[in-house]
Amino acid sequence: MKDKLEKFVQDNREEFDVFEPRPELWQQICHELPKNSPEKEAKVIKVSFGERASFSADFFFMRVAAAIILLLGCGLTIFLMKQQTPDTANTLAATQSINAAAPESINAIAPELPEVEAYYVNQIEAKKSELSEYDLKVLGLDEQQIIDKELARLDSSYVQLKQQLYTTPNTDEIVGAMIQNLQIRIKVLNRQLEVLQSLEQIKQQPIQEPQNDDTSNV
Amino acid sequence: MEKLGYKDVNHQVVERCKGGDHRAQYELYKLYSKAMFNVSMRITNDYAEAEDVLQEAFVSAFKNLHNYKGEASFGSWLKKIVINAAINAIRKRRSELVPMDERTLADVPDEVNEDDSEWQVEQVRRAIQKLPDGYRVVLSLYLLEGYDHAEIGAVLEITESTSKSQYSRARKKLLEIMREPQFVA
Repeated sequence: MKDKLEKFVQDNREEFDVFEPRPELWQQICHELPKNSPEKEAKVIKVSFGERASFSADFFFMRVAAAIILLLGCGLTIFLMKQQTPDTANTLAATQSINAAAPESINAIAPELPEVEAYYVNQIEAKKSELSEYDLKVLGLDEQQIIDKELARLDSSYVQLKQQLYTTPNTDEIVGAMIQNLQIRIKVLNRQLEVLQSLEQIKQQPIQEPQNDDTSNV
Repeated sequence: MEKLGYKDVNHQVVERCKGGDHRAQYELYKLYSKAMFNVSMRITNDYAEAEDVLQEAFVSAFKNLHNYKGEASFGSWLKKIVINAAINAIRKRRSELVPMDERTLADVPDEVNEDDSEWQVEQVRRAIQKLPDGYRVVLSLYLLEGYDHAEIGAVLEITESTSKSQYSRARKKLLEIMREPQFVA
């Protein structure tokens, strides 16, 4: 037989937990823990955000990404059909300083953010340097400007999100959106890389049919 | 106390933590810090001390994660560490939790007239905070952390029957406190 007090406590168990530690405490704990290796981290981000992305309904970014890919595909087809020679010089826009001057307080709001950010920025830089190895002129591609513009736009919305981070209570959602933003950039760059790679292949083969697979993928 | 599927969800995170993954560690911290802090708070009854305990417990848990074999849920494994750390903390400021002379006494008959119709969680919670250390720890472990008297005896290094009698005294005292004028209001 349960006595009344036991029953009362059990029925209201949740409400007895009224205290919360200071948010800074995690920082102190983190400080005492051994450092981890970066590869492990990469795995984690994929897992956790794969799930999160499915329910965070930021379709706007997805639409933009889809539009860019579509644009790329169309542009490419036109170029191939016309067999045009390239004219404009393309340079990669200067890398946005995503990481620049992150205030100390970011640690209190979203302690995981700097690590995640650093990881993605690394990825983005790697993709960009990979991209820059292609001779865009030779491959007859003029799309880089559109991509640079898009990346710049993504960057400015990223900066906005980051500012919001300090003023909104719902940090999880914003951090989620920020990460999505970074992921889209990687997707865009990946797509561009794919396009360039297949273009190069076509150039190497004697051309039988000008139509290529990229458009059908889109 | 925890759902069966729950453990499996944590299992992956725990595995990642074993590799020293800070993100996974933070996930677990976010999941458990509040509950564990309240466990620590109830035992130490002091905010700063409870934070020290929480920090010590989490650091030690992450460093000794290889010892966690998954027999119990991660939550109860962690809770054990928190409880031990908290009890050590109050032992430092007080040599003995359960005074000697009370250990041999038999159960106190409970003649308190129980009227629970007016109980409020906040009232009970504050009354628990007003209990002396020895009473508060035993009562909290039993009522709120779901420990039985054998487990309480083991963790406090007292016998099971001492835990029982200590609990019934604590319980009686608690009901007395709740009848005090400032608590009735």
